Amino acid sequence: MNPFSLSVPELERKARAVRRRIINLNANSPAGGHTGADLSQVEVLTALYFRLLDCAPDRLNDPDRDIYIQSKGHGVGGYYCVLAEAGYFPEAWLETYQHSDSKLPGHPVRQKTPGIELNTGALGHGLPVAVGLALAAKRSNSPRKVYALTGDGELAEGSNWEAALVAAHYQLDNLVIINDRNQLQLAGPTREIMNTDPLPDKWRAFGLEVSECSGNDMHSVVQTLERLTRNGKPNVVVSTTRKGAGISFIEGRPEWHHRVPKGEEVTLALEELKDE
Amino acid sequence: MSNREHLANVMVQCFIEAVEEGLDLWPVVADSTSTSKIKPFLERFPDRLINVGIAEQVMVGTAAGLALGGKIACTCNAAPFLVSRANEQVKIDVCYNNTNVKLFGLNAGASYGPLASTHHSIDDIAVMRGFGNIEIYAPSCPREARQLIAYALRSSAPTYIRMDGKPLPVLHPEAYQFQPGKVDVLREGKDVVLVGLGSTVHETVEAAALLAEKGHPPGVLSLSSIRPCDRDALAAQLQKYARVISVEEHNVNGGAGSLVAEVIAEYGLSTTLKRLGIQDGGYAIAGDRASTRRHHQIDAQGIAEVAESLLVPA
Repeated sequence: MNPFSLSVPELERKARAVRRRIINLNANSPAGGHTGADLSQVEVLTALYFRLLDCAPDRLNDPDRDIYIQSKGHGVGGYYCVLAEAGYFPEAWLETYQHSDSKLPGHPVRQKTPGIELNTGALGHGLPVAVGLALAAKRSNSPRKVYALTGDGELAEGSNWEAALVAAHYQLDNLVIINDRNQLQLAGPTREIMNTDPLPDKWRAFGLEVSECSGNDMHSVVQTLERLTRNGKPNVVVSTTRKGAGISFIEGRPEWHHRVPKGEEVTLALEELKDE
Repeated sequence: MSNREHLANVMVQCFIEAVEEGLDLWPVVADSTSTSKIKPFLERFPDRLINVGIAEQVMVGTAAGLALGGKIACTCNAAPFLVSRANEQVKIDVCYNNTNVKLFGLNAGASYGPLASTHHSIDDIAVMRGFGNIEIYAPSCPREARQLIAYALRSSAPTYIRMDGKPLPVLHPEAYQFQPGKVDVLREGKDVVLVGLGSTVHETVEAAALLAEKGHPPGVLSLSSIRPCDRDALAAQLQKYARVISVEEHNVNGGAGSLVAEVIAEYGLSTTLKRLGIQDGGYAIAGDRASTRRHHQIDAQGIAEVAESLLVPA
């Protein structure tokens, strides 16, 4: 089981703490960061690591632990902040984000950072590997569940849809695919660059079970993830979010795909993220 | 000929033996059940084959996931589609993630002959050598393949095995013992040494016989272990000869010839090198094996002709 099992109000408080860490992490980075992508996924990652994942820092060799795959590898800053909060590595490491030869480079590297399950960064790799992990768990009669988080711009990569075919064909109902549908990608709005809407219909057509949630609303995230059923179909959760969610002047702005807060912006952001 | 065996059959036999021994091995194919000659395995273990359809990217990604989930994952499909279509999955999911995946590049080189260049894999060694940690092997005969595959299935390293696509005779004596990294010395000779890769080793052995008949027995080496490779041992062999001829059904860039060139240069050897293979800028012709090898001068006769032209007049 999850060692924290936080309630929704506790998760909301934790998500704010994660966002404060994301602001500081990116502000201290010598090489920029993906602030917007770090922030849109916060509710999903917080809910997973502090309530849903049957995994803990002292169980990283347990073959039955649940697995989380960060397919949108550029959201690694947010991922690091959640892992540090959950005790997978010392908080002090966050100050070394993207420093030379750091344990926390600009995309996840499992050989460097405890808790990371897969090296990603090039897009479209998480789902095929998650399919293999889910298949292995099925064939080993393991209770393991596999969660994989993709971006929405990332879904233009064809390998995702190859993986969808295989996941449905092999009835991998121990697999949960979450789309962080923050609607922005490097060059602009996903709908304008390469439209993936209507996304739920596409997954359904591939034979997957689709749920939708409001991805920056902790109540909606938790309720949706906890209501997933295992009926022979892989689950997809289309989690509609706002890139840069939680900070008024970052939210929904494409320039924050690869921009970090500086000076006054740090103070302003932290002010917005205060606990009541 | 009765003593010939297809390397894919050897591979499947090794799979069966491994599972019988208790290894948690899972072949992963991309509709390539006939290419991999996997039927005997399927008959013995009907639920142990993963077929992802014609989709090489997810084949390699799934294999990496199976490996992370504790399985020994073995992809089996045509080398050109593995190496080129799933290039980034090999690079990231297998090599960078250091997963216990064995990639069998079937019908490599120009094995598909008349099916032309979409089906030829004359860059696989070059591509794999460009990646970091993956071990790279090219068995030259069924006996060596059996030992090499048995070794690979029991190692945890990401591994690429270049598999020829025609039945091959046994080349090695019964006492032969494959060792990763070892330079396989098949013939000792003088003046010229022939260095072969995979099935072209047979051509070099035949060429050596032709040359011996004329009083010029060359040395013959097989580079069945490209990575790891005992470079000291390779240099020690090469420096015995004034001339080196590398022979491969592969582009001359990045394969066995390049490895030999690196060793000659880095060890400061005075021997000179002639690289035979698909020459710079070219593709293999589309034809049967004999005519293809004749055209590219990597058949026994062609190799012997090149060797004779290089021999210093007495």
